[in-house]
Amino acid sequence: MNEIEHDRWRDELAAYLLGALEPGESAELERHVAGCGECRQELDWLRPAVQLLPESVERHEPPARLRRRLFEQVREEAGTTRPSWGFHSLRGRWPGGLALRPVAGLAALILIVASGALYAAGGGSGGGGAGGATTVAVGHAPGVTAQVVREDGSGTLRLANLRQLPRDEVLQAWVRRGQRVVSAKALFVPNPDGTATATIDDMQGVSAVMVTAEPRGGSVQPTSAPIVSVPIPN
Amino acid sequence: MRAGKAERLADEELMPLIGEQDPGAFEVFFDRHGGVAYSLAYRIVGERGAAEDVTQEAFISVWRSGARYDAARGSVRTWMLGIVRNRAIDALRSRAGRAAKLDFDDDSILEHRPAAELTDAEALRRETAHEVRGALDGLPGEQAKVIELAYFGGFSHSEIASMLEVPLGTVKGRMRLGLEKVRGELAEGLA
Repeated sequence: MNEIEHDRWRDELAAYLLGALEPGESAELERHVAGCGECRQELDWLRPAVQLLPESVERHEPPARLRRRLFEQVREEAGTTRPSWGFHSLRGRWPGGLALRPVAGLAALILIVASGALYAAGGGSGGGGAGGATTVAVGHAPGVTAQVVREDGSGTLRLANLRQLPRDEVLQAWVRRGQRVVSAKALFVPNPDGTATATIDDMQGVSAVMVTAEPRGGSVQPTSAPIVSVPIPN
Repeated sequence: MRAGKAERLADEELMPLIGEQDPGAFEVFFDRHGGVAYSLAYRIVGERGAAEDVTQEAFISVWRSGARYDAARGSVRTWMLGIVRNRAIDALRSRAGRAAKLDFDDDSILEHRPAAELTDAEALRRETAHEVRGALDGLPGEQAKVIELAYFGGFSHSEIASMLEVPLGTVKGRMRLGLEKVRGELAEGLA
């Protein structure tokens, strides 16, 4: 092959990597490169310049609904009734008949929340608070522990073993009073060590404290199943 | 697999698990690459709804074909972003006359990320992103333009030649010179 012809191929390499050749031209170039060590070497050297172009784009957070749609489809296709673990795996129904905000494709409604070990007020929890605080309940979800400490009329919710949330999600605390579930007006994110604390301003008449993962800014009503639900004894 | 355990795995180790339809592994995979995938899709199609559709289709494609990833052809992230790019270009072409946005200035947005959330890998990617943007910014305008039109706009070299009213050989030459300069600016060992 003469030098002029070779230079012609070399000029095509960048266009090839950028996807700018017509399909027939690409096939022709690939045949040439297969037999030309020099062009192959140049192609391999240039390739990272194209592969890294996506890293240069302005970053936008994927909307929370994209994640919901995607994982609903994935779980449906996986045929799982119990996702592996994680806040955003816990999409589905709320206990107590609370209506969820409509979410597209709720075919894979999943509920794996455990409101587990429950201790009577002031007794046996081993987690009594300082001063006048009293641990009134301890709940467990798979891998997550929760403790509610009541002090006067308010409460403190302490969580442990939480995994980190995507940047577009926060944890939101909810309280159940009778048949109603309302926001405790507490938005928070896990600490790097997987713990988190939230204050429940008014524990009056509360029969359960729950936590969900919600889009940043919180939700008017829960859009996912609770990560943990802690029944509060009267 | 529990997501906590999957988080400790490298992308290449996640792929066989995804090939076995492990939702936990897939979740970790999305957490790692969903942001840049969506950003790339948005950059190409220029509209949020379409970018969401493209991103979802691309990740579902990985979910269904994770076992087909070939490590010899590059990193998992590169493979994933190649899928996103192809689908975004397809979406763009199906909407006649849509042009890609042409800008690279995302420093301010990246800086809003809390430092505590940055893993070593993310920190490296930020550095890489900064380096690539710097390299692109340093190109003569006509070279940057043909690269952007081809990669982010999905235009062929002949389409670009007629769009810019320059000979085809000029377009190819600009692409080559531009890419060679970008490559020369990148640290060895990247990608």
